[in-house]
Amino acid sequence: MPLSAYLTVSAVLFAIGAVGVLVRRNPLVMFMSIELMLNAVNLTFIAFAHFLDSVDGWMFVFLVLTVAAAEVVVGLAIIVSIFRSRNEIDVDDLKTLNG
Amino acid sequence: MLFAQISFWVLAVVVVASALGVILFRNAVYCMLSLILNLLCLAFFFLSLNALFVATIQVLIYAGAVMVLFLFVVTMLAPGERIGVGQSDPLRWQWGAGIGLGVILAGALTFAAFTGAIASDAQALGASQLSAQVTASGNTEAFGLALFHGYSFPFEVTGLLLVVAVLGAVALGRRPTRERE
Repeated sequence: MPLSAYLTVSAVLFAIGAVGVLVRRNPLVMFMSIELMLNAVNLTFIAFAHFLDSVDGWMFVFLVLTVAAAEVVVGLAIIVSIFRSRNEIDVDDLKTLNG
Repeated sequence: MLFAQISFWVLAVVVVASALGVILFRNAVYCMLSLILNLLCLAFFFLSLNALFVATIQVLIYAGAVMVLFLFVVTMLAPGERIGVGQSDPLRWQWGAGIGLGVILAGALTFAAFTGAIASDAQALGASQLSAQVTASGNTEAFGLALFHGYSFPFEVTGLLLVVAVLGAVALGRRPTRERE
């Protein structure tokens, strides 16, 4: 398959993730949409690594994976602590971050 | 070649469908399971692009560890959308606007991918003979060589980042219990 096919799949995935962040109001689902976007970019990196015969794409995917793991850990901790103090999570109600 | 094309299209359909599932399911647990399917299919994409080690860590770390953490939190909080069945969504126009913007974004990115400017620009930067290295020493060895030679400083910074993330999660997690005592 040509490079543009992989890039198209990746573009569609990224757009779906962006729409998810825009339209959903459950912060957990918004987080999942962010993961979707990160993975779309990962697919782009791997496709370029394959078609340019370069190892750099793999390295970037490794770093993106690590950053995504750290982001999920901190983000979920924040969501859990918000849920503990307010007993509901809906981004419409969270206008301030002072809990 | 035919097998490669068939597998590409099947994977592409499943990946896009599961991604749509992530943003369309009402129940967050279904969204979660849809995302796991998406990540597994992406791992197969990585395999088809000869990135064996990256596909493995995609399954182990992403579809395994990160998603289990996610699933724990999702099932613990069990949040549904608060909009009830008979109740009308006060911000229904958000869906239209979001989908419109998403279609524009996908169209722009696809246009950029097909005009070929990105690929030819990148090709001009030169290659580092990845496939020769993979056949000479193996997939994981090629990954490790690149990681510990060209990318050793980012790798060390990654360790720092993970320590900061763990400390942040611990600090956020224990504050309410200390207040309660």
